[in-house]
Amino acid sequence: MNKRTSMEIFKSVVLALFLREVQTRFGTKKLGYFWAIFDAMFMVLIFAGLKSLISAKSMPGLDFPVFLATAFLAFFLWRNIVTQSINAFSANKALFAYKQVKPFDTIVTRVMLEILVSSVATIVFVMIGLYFGLDVSVKNFNMVIFAVVWLCVFGFAIGLVSAVLSYFYEFYAKVIKVILSPLMFISAIMYSVDSLPPLAREIILYNPLVHFMEMIHGFYFKTLDTYYVDYEYMMYWTLIPLWLGLFFYKRSEKRILSS
Amino acid sequence: MIELYNVTKYFKTGGKKKYILNNVTMTIPSGVNVGLLGRNGAGKSTLLRMLGGIDFPNSGIITSPNSFSWPMGLAGGFQGSMTGRQNVKFVCRIYGKSDYEIEQAIESVREFAELGDYFDMPIKTYSSGMKSRLSFGLSLVFDFDYLIIDETLSVGDKNFQEKSKKALRKKIENCNVLLVSHSMPVLKEICDVGIVVHQGQINYCETIEEAIETYNNINK
Repeated sequence: MNKRTSMEIFKSVVLALFLREVQTRFGTKKLGYFWAIFDAMFMVLIFAGLKSLISAKSMPGLDFPVFLATAFLAFFLWRNIVTQSINAFSANKALFAYKQVKPFDTIVTRVMLEILVSSVATIVFVMIGLYFGLDVSVKNFNMVIFAVVWLCVFGFAIGLVSAVLSYFYEFYAKVIKVILSPLMFISAIMYSVDSLPPLAREIILYNPLVHFMEMIHGFYFKTLDTYYVDYEYMMYWTLIPLWLGLFFYKRSEKRILSS
Repeated sequence: MIELYNVTKYFKTGGKKKYILNNVTMTIPSGVNVGLLGRNGAGKSTLLRMLGGIDFPNSGIITSPNSFSWPMGLAGGFQGSMTGRQNVKFVCRIYGKSDYEIEQAIESVREFAELGDYFDMPIKTYSSGMKSRLSFGLSLVFDFDYLIIDETLSVGDKNFQEKSKKALRKKIENCNVLLVSHSMPVLKEICDVGIVVHQGQINYCETIEEAIETYNNINK
């Protein structure tokens, strides 16, 4: 057989895994596409509704549903990257019988799939927004994209660490699930950091996701800024888990394959 | 050619190390078909997996300039929720085949494996025999230097067994086989040399008959 470089093998494996994931996720369950959009849509409707019930005055200069949608789409993208990464090894275990398929490839594949799903959902959201005459215009498109890409790298890093650790320690998988569930409420998704009292502001800024959400909001809306975003803090939260994830993975790849 | 240098492989069971290979150095020469013998749990399948590159020794090195198939066994190597056809596509893709080659591969596997409508059903609905037929049929599509076969030649009915053996005989004109089997006639028919795995040691025998005899002595 002709020899291929490891990059060529990696590319063909990720493509094969990607097509397989698309088929199993969306092909066998017809509702797959629906759920991809539904969860974010549901949250936007709930919180937009709640907000209009509680207080008539919303954030001036922007449409609140758009404010919600940007953050929920980003948050679900990040959360799905992490949760899908955690299950990536066990879901693809049978395919490790082929030596070309490395556990790492399964995570890369799932991250790519989540990005695709989120992109489709975003397009649908924009179309719905336009239909209802909401202001979906972006202040700084490039910086919003940059923030989302960074968020994906952050998700990948946390996902990789979590995948390796939870493969060997079931306890860790439970812990991460417990951490993930309340995150939605403490990540500056349905409110801005600026709207919080000073003490709450100080505490919530320890959550790295808050910085990502503020960054996305700040660059998306003309009336908001990125005053509270600490890029250095975000960098630490990206690079340290990324390094740890790669380190743990490198050390345990063979054990994952042979277990 | 396959070379093993000081290879040690063990499993930990209840704190105790159970050795499959204990500091084994060995060379399997090119151009011979190898039969692996040993009691259940002696580590034949683990050895095959290591030779196939999906399991790894605790210490030592296994090297070979040759290409190996995936271990074809009853255990699978298939994703249960995918259909037979999707699995064939998947494996072709990871080996970098073109769309045209994939179409051809699907046709030849479908014809060989005789799965009928099951070819488009999820693998989890297959019997173990059907899985092996698919796996074996799929391996015939590729040009490996070594086919790694774990107990799969004895599946299916008489007809299919004959067909498999015929296909394998044709295939091994151009490649070699690493075969685990408990069927002595099959081993005698296909293999040239034998390896007996027993209590962490490997006994390399120049002829398959000698290996069978060694194996029989262990079982006495």
